[in-house]
Amino acid sequence: MSSRRSRATTVSEEEINELISRLQTLLPNAGRRGGNQASATKLLKETCNYIKSLHREVDDLSDRLSDLMATMDQNSPGAEIIRSLLR
Amino acid sequence: MASTSSSTPAVEVEARRRKRKRAAGAEPAAAEEADAQPSKWRTRREHEIYSSKLLEAIRLVRAGPSSAPPRSRAVREAADRALAVAARGRTHWSRAILASRRRRFQAAHRARLRAPASPSSRQGPAASASASSSPPCEGASTPPLARKAKVLGRLVPGCRKLPFPTLLAETTDYIAALQMQVRAMTALAEALSAVSATSSGAGSSSSPA
Repeated sequence: MSSRRSRATTVSEEEINELISRLQTLLPNAGRRGGNQASATKLLKETCNYIKSLHREVDDLSDRLSDLMATMDQNSPGAEIIRSLLR
Repeated sequence: MASTSSSTPAVEVEARRRKRKRAAGAEPAAAEEADAQPSKWRTRREHEIYSSKLLEAIRLVRAGPSSAPPRSRAVREAADRALAVAARGRTHWSRAILASRRRRFQAAHRARLRAPASPSSRQGPAASASASSSPPCEGASTPPLARKAKVLGRLVPGCRKLPFPTLLAETTDYIAALQMQVRAMTALAEALSAVSATSSGAGSSSSPA
């Protein structure tokens, strides 16, 4: 377990900036103009919003999937196929 | 029985290799792990592994309770659990998802049969959760940043008390994993809806000339 190891607690700002920039590459907002350092707060806010939108998307998708599962319970050829896929 | 000398050398080699790996990766572990993992969520192989786990999870949901409204929630939780399993337990958020599921399952299980081993198993996930919480807010000193970091810690499961750089690394991995989850579920939904659409449509396989 990596959490048990005594890790060096001095975390340099450089590391934090690197982590932040790595996070930034994942975000859909590709407009990475200058001022990488100054917008850490903005970046965190964008990250929070992005995670919320991803959660919403997953919820919508699971709604959709559960609806599809409901149609599967009917008797149609498509339902048969789905049933065989999910068997 | 003093049979230590007759233990398989392969096991010892494995243990030694693991120890050496851990010792060598002590300092750059944070950077390396954070680097290796988010990109792995983009590989086709992970996508396939997750899709098959997702199918399995949905099968289980199907076989379970048949009441309509909670089903989407069950699907969501099954998808999250499959995602956490695909992470192979190397991140805080995946362990938190699995631990919360396990705790709830164990609580329900314990209500039925009074298992004597439950106290030890209950301390397992709790111990790991408390061991991972280190001194809070290391590196997020400015108040607005600390506030955002707290919100972020609430969004990512199991990351409420993590130090700031760890929180950032967990977030990076979590976002990459969520992106893969969305991709896989979308593909599955598209495939299933295409199947049901073509079958409930014309029904005949005549193609337009």
